[in-house]
Amino acid sequence: MAVFQAALLNELEKLYKKKKVLVAILLSLAVIVIGQLVIVGVRSGFGLRGTGSVEFPMLVLSVVVNTILPLFTALVAIDSFSGEFNQNSMRITLTRPVSRFKIYTAKITAIVLFILGALLLLLVFSLLAGFIFNTNSATLDSLGRTVFSYFVSLLPLTVLALAIALLANIFKSGIAVFFVSVLAFLALKVLGVLFSQYSSLFLTTQLDWYNLFLVNSFPILKILRQFLIMLGSGIMLFTAGFYIFDKKEF
Amino acid sequence: MKFKKKSVMLVSFTVGTLLLATTALADIASKSGYDELKGAIKLTTEQASEKFDSFTLDYSMALKDNGKTLESSNETQKVDRKNSASENISSSLSANGDKRSSQSYSDKTTIIRVSESDPTYYVTEFTKERKDEAFTNPFKEEEAADLEKIVDAIVGSLKDHVVVTENPDGSKAITGSLTEVQIPSLVNAVASFQLKQEFNNQNSNQNNSKMPRLTKDVFVKEVKGSAKVNADGVMESILGTAVLSGKDEQGTVHEISLEALVKVMDINTTTVTKPDLTGKKVVKDIARYGDAEMSNPEKFVGKFKNDIIIEKDSKFVKVGERFVDITQIDGKSVAGRYYAEYKPEFEEYAASLSSFKFEAKFEQEQKTSANFEGTNDSGDKVRGHIYLSEYEGQVNFNIDNFNGSFGSGLMFNSSFSPVLD
Repeated sequence: MAVFQAALLNELEKLYKKKKVLVAILLSLAVIVIGQLVIVGVRSGFGLRGTGSVEFPMLVLSVVVNTILPLFTALVAIDSFSGEFNQNSMRITLTRPVSRFKIYTAKITAIVLFILGALLLLLVFSLLAGFIFNTNSATLDSLGRTVFSYFVSLLPLTVLALAIALLANIFKSGIAVFFVSVLAFLALKVLGVLFSQYSSLFLTTQLDWYNLFLVNSFPILKILRQFLIMLGSGIMLFTAGFYIFDKKEF
Repeated sequence: MKFKKKSVMLVSFTVGTLLLATTALADIASKSGYDELKGAIKLTTEQASEKFDSFTLDYSMALKDNGKTLESSNETQKVDRKNSASENISSSLSANGDKRSSQSYSDKTTIIRVSESDPTYYVTEFTKERKDEAFTNPFKEEEAADLEKIVDAIVGSLKDHVVVTENPDGSKAITGSLTEVQIPSLVNAVASFQLKQEFNNQNSNQNNSKMPRLTKDVFVKEVKGSAKVNADGVMESILGTAVLSGKDEQGTVHEISLEALVKVMDINTTTVTKPDLTGKKVVKDIARYGDAEMSNPEKFVGKFKNDIIIEKDSKFVKVGERFVDITQIDGKSVAGRYYAEYKPEFEEYAASLSSFKFEAKFEQEQKTSANFEGTNDSGDKVRGHIYLSEYEGQVNFNIDNFNGSFGSGLMFNSSFSPVLD
């Protein structure tokens, strides 16, 4: 465990030193600021309320979970694998007395922690903005559902990170991985609209699965099915990704 | 050691695949409440248009402001599919306090209308039996399948908000409710903008103070729906409620709610009765059904005219007359001559388009409108459109390239009345 912790710390430190994290934070804040400005504009321009204090974080989540969060997940995951393959710095990591399984797990964990951090940051700031600039519409129930929605979004984003990690291990070039991911993402989005009856199987639709937790009747079966679908694909992607990573020669 | 790692990987990959495959299949197979609702609506409309001999539909709608009724309406439609007869009873209360109620009856050969404000029975009798479907299935229309796909995509993740509860007797209750957190912000914004515009527009038209004018903080607060489906899968009633909240200029909060209820009742036991006209004031009318049928087109043979007018010294002055002289007409085509006659003192207005012959084929057999092409005296092509109005006893005659006259101050009127004396 101590070995794993050391490996994880190592990965986190690498992540922290990258400029990307800073960019991610700034972009997240920018989304909140722009979103709030739009809401204020709509309110004074069209006489609509736009959003209330709790709906604003949900609006922010619905936007970022389909845009900047997958984007930065992809960038960080690609950097963590393809980046190190290309700079040959992966050799340095591998020369340590740590098994490849632990390194792979540590890398994935670091990415997941990054996503969690981004979600928390967005949650705190959008809640702040929501309460400062919007009419109060909060009830304990809706507030709880909002916070919960942010946390459950971690799961589909983790599956996304695993998928991109697999791609990063298959393709050599980071740019190739990035483009394949973006194209696949868009293709799945379109397919989700065209075949709406099968859309719950697509990762892009699962990104919106937080909506299930907002339903009054709490559709536990549907939530369970979605959870198992994500769990199953997560296990597959992790195993496949690790298999290739394990077989790789540097 | 190496062998063990490989088998662990194999096992975990298999477990993942199985987990994914089984839940995916279960997910596709599972019918959501939304699908059940859709199924019930489809089945009901299909049976109503094909299977039931008779049934009663009851629609009611109410618009309330903070619980106070602003507008309401109710309509009961009795349909006897076997005899193609239907009866409609409707009553409404409008925002300015007007109460209206009316009744109508229709079968293959007659339509009878009567309203509360005017106790005269207006009877329209048709010379031919009409092919009148009492109730058509909207899902059989061509674009229904595409529309359904679009609606599915728009509804998207909101599908999961529909809940079905099954009762012991086999009937089902389908309910769904959305509050402000659950309605996606964009949907809410677009919907509330639309509603606000519509609501305020309606207000300014009617110009009454009972309707609040929402100006600030408008949003959709709640959308609710519930439906009852009987053991045969036929929908018995569906109720929808939407609440729009907003402030007026004084800052008072208004909650406008719209409720709509549709009920299907008395399946196969509805009877449609023709109103008894004995001793009632009756106005009879023989069907002149739009432009669908023209029984004796020969009546249009002859001259039709209107006045040529100019504006002079802030007065309308007649400078001459235009004529359409129809010389030949049958069910398929019409031919004749257009000419204008000017008074001697206004001869200078007589322009190139003062006379031409035309011949036109009706757009479809038994229709009353046609495009024509003619040649005027100077050999130029003239195009236009002729429409024979049985209802007004007039001819509408439009000339497309008639731009020459506008500069000269001539006014153009396209309706021509018959010259009868």
